[in-house]
Amino acid sequence: MKKEGDVMDETSWLSRWRAEHESQIRSFKLILYTLSRSPLSVVGLSIVAALLIVALIGPLILTHPEDIKGAVHMDLKLKPPSRSYPFGTDEMGRDIYSRVIMGTRLSLQIGLIIVFVAMGIGIPLGIIAGYVGGWVNEVIMRITDIFLSIPGLLLALAIVGVLGPGIKNAMIALSLVWWPGYVRLVQGKTLSLREEAFVESARSIGAGKLRIIFSHILPNCTSPIIVKASMDMGMAILFAANLGFIGVGAQPPEPEWGAMISVGRNYLPDRWWMATFPGLAILFTVLGFNLLGDGLRDVLDPQSRG
Amino acid sequence: MGLSMKRFFVKRLVLMGITLFGLSVVVFSISRIAPGDPARLAAGPDATEEMVEVIRKEFGLDRPLIVQYGLYMKGLLKGDFGRSIRTRHQVWEDIKNYLPATFELVFVSISFATLFGILFGVLSAVYRDRWIDHLIRFFSVTGVAVPMFWLGIMLQLLFSAKLHWLPLGGRLDTMIPPPTPLTRFFLIDSLLSGNWVVLKNGLVHIFLPAFVLSFPALASITRINRAEMLEVLHKDFVLNERAHGLPNRVILFKYALKNALIPTLTMIGLRYGWMLGGTILVETVFDWPGIGYYAVAAAVYSDFQPVMAVTILLGLNFMIANLLVDIGYGYLDPRVRYE
Amino acid sequence: MKKGHWGLIVLAAILMVSFTVSPALFAYEKRDGKKIIVYGERQPAPNIDPSQFYDWSTRMLQQALYDALLKYVGNPPRLIPWLAKSWKKSADGKKWTFELVRNAKFHNGDPVTAHAVKWSFERTLALKKGPAWMLLDFLDKDGIRVIDDYTIEFSLKAPYAAFEMAIPWWYIMNPKVVLANEKAGDMGQEWMKDHSAGSGPFRQKRWEHGVLYELEAVEDYWKGWENPKHVNGVIYKIIRESSSLRMGLEKGELDVVAGLNSEDFDAVAKNPNIYVTNDPGWTTFGIKMNTQKGYTKDINIRKAICYAFDYPSMIKIYNGNAILEDSPFPKGMKGYIPVPNVYRQDMKKAKEYLAKAGYPNGGFELEYVYVQGLEEERQIGLVLLDNLAQLGIKLKMVPLVWPNMVARASKVETSPDLMAVFTTPIMNDPDVVAIQYHKDSWGKYYGSHFYQNEKVWDLIQKARFTADWNVRKSLYEQIQVMIMEDAPEIFGMLYNRRWAFRKHLQGFVFSPMRLTSEIDLYPLYIQD
Repeated sequence: MKKEGDVMDETSWLSRWRAEHESQIRSFKLILYTLSRSPLSVVGLSIVAALLIVALIGPLILTHPEDIKGAVHMDLKLKPPSRSYPFGTDEMGRDIYSRVIMGTRLSLQIGLIIVFVAMGIGIPLGIIAGYVGGWVNEVIMRITDIFLSIPGLLLALAIVGVLGPGIKNAMIALSLVWWPGYVRLVQGKTLSLREEAFVESARSIGAGKLRIIFSHILPNCTSPIIVKASMDMGMAILFAANLGFIGVGAQPPEPEWGAMISVGRNYLPDRWWMATFPGLAILFTVLGFNLLGDGLRDVLDPQSRG
Repeated sequence: MGLSMKRFFVKRLVLMGITLFGLSVVVFSISRIAPGDPARLAAGPDATEEMVEVIRKEFGLDRPLIVQYGLYMKGLLKGDFGRSIRTRHQVWEDIKNYLPATFELVFVSISFATLFGILFGVLSAVYRDRWIDHLIRFFSVTGVAVPMFWLGIMLQLLFSAKLHWLPLGGRLDTMIPPPTPLTRFFLIDSLLSGNWVVLKNGLVHIFLPAFVLSFPALASITRINRAEMLEVLHKDFVLNERAHGLPNRVILFKYALKNALIPTLTMIGLRYGWMLGGTILVETVFDWPGIGYYAVAAAVYSDFQPVMAVTILLGLNFMIANLLVDIGYGYLDPRVRYE
Repeated sequence: MKKGHWGLIVLAAILMVSFTVSPALFAYEKRDGKKIIVYGERQPAPNIDPSQFYDWSTRMLQQALYDALLKYVGNPPRLIPWLAKSWKKSADGKKWTFELVRNAKFHNGDPVTAHAVKWSFERTLALKKGPAWMLLDFLDKDGIRVIDDYTIEFSLKAPYAAFEMAIPWWYIMNPKVVLANEKAGDMGQEWMKDHSAGSGPFRQKRWEHGVLYELEAVEDYWKGWENPKHVNGVIYKIIRESSSLRMGLEKGELDVVAGLNSEDFDAVAKNPNIYVTNDPGWTTFGIKMNTQKGYTKDINIRKAICYAFDYPSMIKIYNGNAILEDSPFPKGMKGYIPVPNVYRQDMKKAKEYLAKAGYPNGGFELEYVYVQGLEEERQIGLVLLDNLAQLGIKLKMVPLVWPNMVARASKVETSPDLMAVFTTPIMNDPDVVAIQYHKDSWGKYYGSHFYQNEKVWDLIQKARFTADWNVRKSLYEQIQVMIMEDAPEIFGMLYNRRWAFRKHLQGFVFSPMRLTSEIDLYPLYIQD
């Protein structure tokens, strides 16, 4: 409600926001500073940043944009790397460089969706388990154990094998593989936080459960969650490529790296470029996220290791 | 073995049993949400309607879900995993054929990864910041990020196709018959029967697949072992310095290693699980006739019985591995109490 | 680093090198003086029971382990007597009498008698699996009569001119051996999956599922061997990826491979130690369209698709080793004629037909279902995707395993808009192709178009039950033209059948009746 005499102009709003969030801004700056001290983390951060940029501006840096939409040029098939085709052409005469670039966007989307869905399922369940305790906790943790007892790729294979091939089903399968990790992480944190003094005091002054969860518990979980999420991004993309390689992930003509390697394999050893470049793309992407995750962990959550 | 350890053991076994049961439910549910008609799959492309119905009855696919699950569990307890639609054999028969190959590969890989992981981790910690440390650190960082199947393909390309040093795939050359089956692990059987030709051939064939399969585990184990070694060494080195005595390298070393091994052991256990999943990829690339390949072929075929069986078996195997890891703690650190 | 450490590393390096440097073993190995060849192929044969199952890998082994009354050889294919030394049919085409040779023996020494023949046919008919479909409509077990030990008579329920054409695929088994291994009344099905009871030129040796199957020549085979240098053993080795097949052949570890992609065939042909056989095949590739459901129900849309497709691209995919279909019947088959005005790419005409259908700018999506892992079908789909995009039609690529495709094709509601199908005629009679466009084939994979045209059906029925070839010939000409006009599928191509052999392995004879990579092992010999 606008009061008489209130001057609501831009600068005062910004400086007020700055003042309110001073500690957060400071810790963010501290994070960046600490990160920059570790050369590997810088590498990781730059790789991830580069990937994001490529994903965003992808369509602008393609040499043969029509090739990503499904255009085929049978006369140009299987040509080695050259000036106009930096990574060579594939079995349908398409430019591999363009497809690898678009694959970046696809892979990042896949990774983000998997991690977010896994978090969406795992975090609430973890909080419920940790906060409510008792038999609810037991049941949730047992179910989590069950899912964690199966090697991830095998579980994903079983689910996709049943749902049918396709990138959507692969994402569903991989989300189901990843959510238990978040439950474990959050449940442990919630359990220990529940007994903390500040939570006790909040409860004693009558704060509702939801309020306690959102203002006290969740914020304290964010650090390990962020660390885990960034490591998981890389791993999720790797697993998606694994499924793509087996043939149950992304389908043609999607430019998914794993699928491209699977096809390229048929043309070895003469046409080595088809399988090599997408593999390097996967390697760099996963490496970037791993390094970033490592760096973030050293900064945000140094007690946890391994 | 103290009383607390026995109690721990029993409790863990019970827990394992519950988890296993839950696993069977989960796996069974997954297998039954399949679209398509599995009976028709089994009957084959030229089947008539009546032929399809015959198959449907034979596999029990016309009964309600609960009944199917009941039949399935009854069979499981007897060791009957059903019949594969694709190979038309009993699943346990197929698994009997394929399991040794996978476990030979996995055991070689995990041994390799553990041995060299610890070795490299120690080397890296002891010679900190020298060139060998940097080299090892480079590989351990990239090693986890490398796609296993791609690594396999690239190594095949280099060592097999271009250099002709190593074979492309399989467990043995075509012309070499497998050794007399005792354990069905080719390396052990050929050793036991003194068959050096087969032993050498088997080793040459297992080298690349095992290396590729162990690579990410090797990298992780190296990393964590190095980190733990460094922490312990640093702590105690400082302590010793303060005590004004010359640090006895050997004792320090043994003590540090033992302490570093505890978190390393956790990583080994974790990585073992990932390795079991990785067999799917490595067996496909190297034509290795194991259950990883069997599961992939079945999954692609919508043949659910084998996939369920493999999932449960490998899940069980992973649980046992974790149990062994926990027991390992007890020997490494007597302070650990079993609640 | 301590000296000791270096020592260890050097030792390890020496060990590693000593392990890696090993001479490549050459196939066509002389083991105890016997010549064994290795055949590399992708597809395993988990069930070799002739009554239960057949596909190309399985049949190759069945043809080696078993005999049938007659056999197909050569190109153009001829039916020659095998277990039967002569045969005749009655004037009405309903009674067939076969006289058996006297000296045929099963592997265990038992003579091959008419009783064994009767039992084998009865078994296949009773189990209703494998090749049973070929004769189920025409033959009952009551119709099989043993006249004496070496004479057998078949009485068909209806006259069927092509009866003899199916005979080579009905292998004769030894009832004594099969029944001795029967379990719980299963007629020996469990045991026969990986064992045999045959009389053929080879017997089983090593049988390792998923790895290899080893066959050993029966030196005293009742029919004898044409060439004293014939192969003494064959190892059928399962190798799942193309590059392994190719490398194995180049290194000499494999003697013959099938299933390489076009690039690899071209590459190995240049190798002086390898030769590649190249024969026009009768396997047709067509993209069948569902004529009763969805957008493809409208003939204008089907014609638009037929005019949009870039046909020569298929030849490019095979690097020139294919010819375009210009008739629903394969070129070379009895009764084939080149149909005039066959569809070729013409975008203008395609757009006209699309407009006629009421979708001048497309705006809908179609499904293309193909065999998972089959490169050529995938590539053809991508070409079609590109072509249809120019009409504003989206194509969804759906890879499925073959049995799932067959399942979908079994009902008109689930049959795909577009389905990629390779079909090989197993008999040299136009009926076997024409029948695919008849109502009787609805629900089968080659009938996934659910084609409906009563006039064509009448002609097919007439031609089926007529004995006079001239009458049949003109009927089939009409049939081909009418089917083409209705455009139930994109009529694609016939690809050349190729195998890559090492120079020392000779004797291969191509027969278009054999499926995909199947070869007859009997005439092979080693040329030193």
